[in-house]
Amino acid sequence: MEALLSGRSCCLPGTSQRQEGTWTPAEDKWTQRLLTAFAQVRTVAAPGALQRMQDECTQALRTQRMPTTRNEEYRFTDVSRILQSTPQPASQSPAGLPEAVAAHKLEAAAVQLVVVDGVLNRELSRLGGLPEGVYVGSIGGAPASAAEHLGQQARTRGSPFALINGATAQDAVCIHVPAGMEVPQAVHVLYIATGDANAVTVSCPRLLAVLEERAYLEVLEEFSGAQAEQKYFTNAVAEFVVHQGASLVHKYVQLESNPGWHMKATLVSQAQGSRYALTEAMVGASLARHDLGVAQLGRKTETTMRSFILCGEGQLHDLHSKLRLHHPAGTANQLHKCIVAASSARGVFDGNVKVERAAQQTDAGQLSRNLLLAEKATVNVKPNLQIIADDVKCTHGCAVSDLQEDQLFYFRARGVDPKDARRVLVYSFGAEVTQHLKHPDLMARLEAAVTQTLGDIVAAAD
Amino acid sequence: MEGEVHAIMGTNGSGKSTLTKVIVGHPDYEVLGGSVTYRGQDLLELEPEMRARAGVFLSFQSPIEIPGVSNIDFLRLALNTKRKHNGQKELDPLEFYGHVMPLLSKLKMNADFLERNVNEGFSGGERKRNEILQLAVLEADLAILDEIDSGLDIDALKDVATAVNGLKRDDSAVLLVTHYKRLLNYIKPDVIHIMEQGRITSSGGMELADILEDQGYQGIKDMRTAQAAAA
Repeated sequence: MEALLSGRSCCLPGTSQRQEGTWTPAEDKWTQRLLTAFAQVRTVAAPGALQRMQDECTQALRTQRMPTTRNEEYRFTDVSRILQSTPQPASQSPAGLPEAVAAHKLEAAAVQLVVVDGVLNRELSRLGGLPEGVYVGSIGGAPASAAEHLGQQARTRGSPFALINGATAQDAVCIHVPAGMEVPQAVHVLYIATGDANAVTVSCPRLLAVLEERAYLEVLEEFSGAQAEQKYFTNAVAEFVVHQGASLVHKYVQLESNPGWHMKATLVSQAQGSRYALTEAMVGASLARHDLGVAQLGRKTETTMRSFILCGEGQLHDLHSKLRLHHPAGTANQLHKCIVAASSARGVFDGNVKVERAAQQTDAGQLSRNLLLAEKATVNVKPNLQIIADDVKCTHGCAVSDLQEDQLFYFRARGVDPKDARRVLVYSFGAEVTQHLKHPDLMARLEAAVTQTLGDIVAAAD
Repeated sequence: MEGEVHAIMGTNGSGKSTLTKVIVGHPDYEVLGGSVTYRGQDLLELEPEMRARAGVFLSFQSPIEIPGVSNIDFLRLALNTKRKHNGQKELDPLEFYGHVMPLLSKLKMNADFLERNVNEGFSGGERKRNEILQLAVLEADLAILDEIDSGLDIDALKDVATAVNGLKRDDSAVLLVTHYKRLLNYIKPDVIHIMEQGRITSSGGMELADILEDQGYQGIKDMRTAQAAAA
């Protein structure tokens, strides 16, 4: 398969031919401008699997319109500011990079992949100490059985932004864990956007992880900006293929620079008896959206999704999740917790869990809890369970509130000041999710970002 | 009633829990009349947290879950708030650990209890033990224990009762709210009060609990009628 694809890539029109006009442009003007801009910086032919994905996505984008608030999926998430920008590929400027990497260490033992503006930087990465047979690196050197999965899920279940990523990704990071193998340390993928003071730069990081039967992997995606106050656009996609009996622990922490924009797709396919557990924290970027899609493709699969979303001054943070259960005896558990801490902030959640007719004995729970800490703070939440099977146990709930009075009173009854109680409760609201991140370094960075967003607001409430 | 144990018994809905909540200042209740005096002080004038710092402690009938806050952090925050209020030095995590461990073993609770989130996923019995642990850590002067026996098996009841008895001091007091004499066999009250429709209608010794056990609340009514007739 790999050889075939490589051969095919040689025969396909290269960058220069594309610009000469043998290639039909996309109907959407912003998309076309973006594709052209990326085509101009493309210097070397991409490895086979990447080239195939680029071609397929470019093809699909010809007739793809970018979403507006008239699309139901984007009703509350206005992406026009992205679509009105003049996209320019990020340049991987080396300024401040070693410092940025040093500031984002995990613990010493962890494997760290540093992806700068969507391209794996080998010098800054630490790839040693993995069990033999485990592949971690660019897609070019990945085993064919893993590389062939690149783009497969995003093509059928991805959003328009995921297609853009597929067409323009300059690199793809691939992790492959062979059957029965457990990777003892977490694999930390650190994405750094360099930004540019004079332009809105775009980067399209791509990750693929394939876990063969009974394999175990913990992968931790962390997004950050090299400069705190820069506006840039990160458009990331991760695809995970979890084969029979395998376990993937996925942690995703979004701490982009505050003016930045962040679009992320996570697509997961789970075979029989597999487990996927996500813990996410969305704190950075002025406009951020996570499209999470999980498909259970066999019996007795387990899916856990925990999300903590914090929206401060001027931020719009959106989680759209779709979970499909097609087979019997699956379990699914989703906890969504969102704090909207400013009048100008908005949180959006659309969580769909679909229990198909075949998915009997499903045990599914979904809970969305939203905390509004300011006047006019807004959430648009739509947790929804669609149940077609008739022998299932499904629960779901949604709450939008200020802090819970009975919890506040419990603190006061033990002598604690209401303002201290409030502070502890606001922080603990997110901790119910974030404590599952487990890595102290990462939790400290997250806490610093949360404190920065909440600090003034919680103090102001006193 | 310093140094004493009082028990309040009464039918469901007679106002026992309401009374306990009013004493600690629960925001669901507004006091329209009457007074609560505690050590010469009008309790109703104080905010709930000030009542707690003055030494009033309510063991909740249904303790509240606080996901995301570990038990040890909660306990340390509560104790340090009180210590600060009393002009004592606050305890750092290590010192606090030293303070809480002996109390934990007295209650036959595992150390992992401290790391778990406050009441989250606790069984009924664990919640009650946790309330008593808080009582022990805060060394309250007036302990109001609302149905501390509900949901406890006999061994857990003995552990809790032993702990409560061990916490009694000459200058402290305990107010028990219960439906059953069972608890009073382990924590011996000096006085038993019977509550009906929000009022104490009879007060006496263990004989009241015996009447209740044998004849129910009708027995108390009969006793009162007999007393009135005799008078």
